[in-house]
Amino acid sequence: MNNEYDVCVIGSGAGGGPVAWTLARAGHSVLVLEKGPWFHTQDFYKDELACCRRSVYTPELKNEQHVLEDENEDGSWTATPTSESGRDFWNGNCVGGSSNFMSGFFHRLKPVDFHQLSEFGPLAGSNRVDWPIDYEDLEPYYDKVEKIIGVSGKFSQHSNAEPRSSADFPFPPTQEHAISGWIDDACAQLDYHALQVPRAILSRPHNKRRSCEYSGYCGSYGCASNAKGSSRAALLNDAVNTGHCHIQPHSKVDKLISNAKGQVTAARYFDRQGEVHQVRAKIFVVACQAIESSRLLLNSSGPRCPQGLANNHGQVGRNLLFSAGGSGSGDFAYQDLSAEKQQQLKVVGPFVNRALDDWYVIHDPAFRQQAHKGGIVEFLFQHPNPTGKANSVKWNSDGKLRWGLPLKRQLESWFTTDRTLNFEVFNDWQPNDNCFVTLDPKVKDQWGTPVARVRTGIHPFDLQVGDYLAEKGKAVLKQMGAVRIRGGASSSPPPNLVAGGCRFGSDPKTSVLNADCRAHDVDNLYVTDASFMPTGGAVPYTWTIYANAFRVADIISARMTG
Amino acid sequence: MIRRNSVPESQNEMSDSQSGLQQWHSQLLSRRRFLLGLAGGSVAALFPAVCLPLSSKPATIDEWAILGQVQQHLLPDEADSPGAVKIHALDYLRFVVQDPWVDADERQFIVQGSHWLEDLAHSREQTSFLLLDQARREQLLQQIADSSAGENWLSTLLLYLMEALLTDPAYGGNPAGTGWQWLQHTPGYPRPPADKIYPKLNV
Repeated sequence: MNNEYDVCVIGSGAGGGPVAWTLARAGHSVLVLEKGPWFHTQDFYKDELACCRRSVYTPELKNEQHVLEDENEDGSWTATPTSESGRDFWNGNCVGGSSNFMSGFFHRLKPVDFHQLSEFGPLAGSNRVDWPIDYEDLEPYYDKVEKIIGVSGKFSQHSNAEPRSSADFPFPPTQEHAISGWIDDACAQLDYHALQVPRAILSRPHNKRRSCEYSGYCGSYGCASNAKGSSRAALLNDAVNTGHCHIQPHSKVDKLISNAKGQVTAARYFDRQGEVHQVRAKIFVVACQAIESSRLLLNSSGPRCPQGLANNHGQVGRNLLFSAGGSGSGDFAYQDLSAEKQQQLKVVGPFVNRALDDWYVIHDPAFRQQAHKGGIVEFLFQHPNPTGKANSVKWNSDGKLRWGLPLKRQLESWFTTDRTLNFEVFNDWQPNDNCFVTLDPKVKDQWGTPVARVRTGIHPFDLQVGDYLAEKGKAVLKQMGAVRIRGGASSSPPPNLVAGGCRFGSDPKTSVLNADCRAHDVDNLYVTDASFMPTGGAVPYTWTIYANAFRVADIISARMTG
Repeated sequence: MIRRNSVPESQNEMSDSQSGLQQWHSQLLSRRRFLLGLAGGSVAALFPAVCLPLSSKPATIDEWAILGQVQQHLLPDEADSPGAVKIHALDYLRFVVQDPWVDADERQFIVQGSHWLEDLAHSREQTSFLLLDQARREQLLQQIADSSAGENWLSTLLLYLMEALLTDPAYGGNPAGTGWQWLQHTPGYPRPPADKIYPKLNV
């Protein structure tokens, strides 16, 4: 390995991959330092234990953890290390990051997401702002993601459709389950518009990647065919093949070292054996996923930044975002269906690919007199993992354990008499003063570095929006004939849907990064994961992370070629 | 992107459950703190509701025989549906107890629970759990389920019974997919070959 590169990228997921891909193809020398191991396609199987019940793709909490602050009823906050609570806040820590394990239902932000403050005005308790770029700045890169990462879908014009530069998606839609048609029918009866959702999953082979094999086990599993558009499968393999990109797994960066001029000179990291190394580069790109990126900067104090790198105005870690919303579900009892529909419903493999974005902006006087930002409702089957499902059956309705023959009869009923359709609501998590990352004063990781302490406060208005949208999801399930319909908003922060902490903006006093995602006060430091987002929008983040990282990669490339 | 919350007992499984965060959080803390405080535990720690005279329990017991009998009680075999014996649950539990990927406290807890149960059997019934009939075993297990600690132990055994029933046969349970067949479950593919189960991934 060299000890000096043009660019050092820390983190190899959706934020790091586009930078490595772009710059390596442009002939620059790129080093990617990844904390976790490098699983290859031939290491991924539909193995519930590996994916979901053991820490195979994430650190053991005794070695690396978070400290989470939850709000008590009296408004105080209680901090609990996750090694005590067992509440795992890690996502995929391996080459390709959590993009290996996404479900891949992809949504662009809409133009309104880029100027929420101007559009909707201030909201007490919310720190929402306008972005320093517009949708038009990002659109070419959303388009690029469709082609490079591979997005499968069918575009149809509708009132909430985002402007596009390509007429349609480069790959036809993935195969769809019969229930998608049932959703379409129900929505038509309700006068809702059922949106056909594109997926970052190949419906046709492309660039040495096979097309989807429709096993029905997608979200939270690594892809055995490379159809899923992970950073690993879609970008990093190509980047390595240029001969200009070196990916180094098992390399935990604990500090970026900066000089008296305020520039980053080296990344310090631990290898698998715990040996400390330093590597130099002209430009450093941080993409560790939002919480860990803020943590790395806060742990990287230097002669010009005693409070942490890029933190001279105390902004790093502030305005952390999750995805607000909630979920719901309904059951379709086989006994209520025709034999044909039963057979249709039991099919495992094809995708649902349906969502509602009719209330992306809510124009409903019964909700608010003024228009307000809403969100989407996404439909999907209950996760097929059987062990987690079975394990929940051991508790009866009184909260007591059941076992023996009653347990067996309940298992039979639970597994064989119906199928559950879920919906998930995505709406904005208002940036607020009670959602942020700091360094824990006591708890350290296995390398002796302070861990991230995360306060996860949600703005109460987000729950109202989530409930409003959940009612729409429940209405669809009811129209479809589902039984046992339940659902609503939740204040629980989903740890796989996290952004912010290093928001970009034009004012160094209120933002960490400029519009190019370069640190205001560190000339050679960029952040390209979801940390840059000052408001989250009301869709999952991955497409936007990819698009913005491609955008910033072009900016860096132009700078390097001068 | 499936919205995920971290939920007790399910590690990092994607979950659609959004409600009752505070409730499960407090339950989870109770469980974890209980496990962390296990060292040096006694029957009184596991079954605090029961005040016991010291028993005539022998110094050594067959831990695995007791665990196997408890498993069979919790998930009995029937003619037309598999139970603990048919799904090789005890072999699977041996794998779990030797698996460094499973929390060490939990592994200790599983085995130690057999001692505590045997203590209780001797104190209450003046004999080994292994020699009790089904009705008295049920009575004893119901008693311990009334304490949070005993409930934790039974809950843990049930969790690994469900894993033995429904995880890939490559791990030693669910032989020939018998659990999947019983519950009409369609597994995903490709399935892990023996040299690609997670303890053997060499990355």
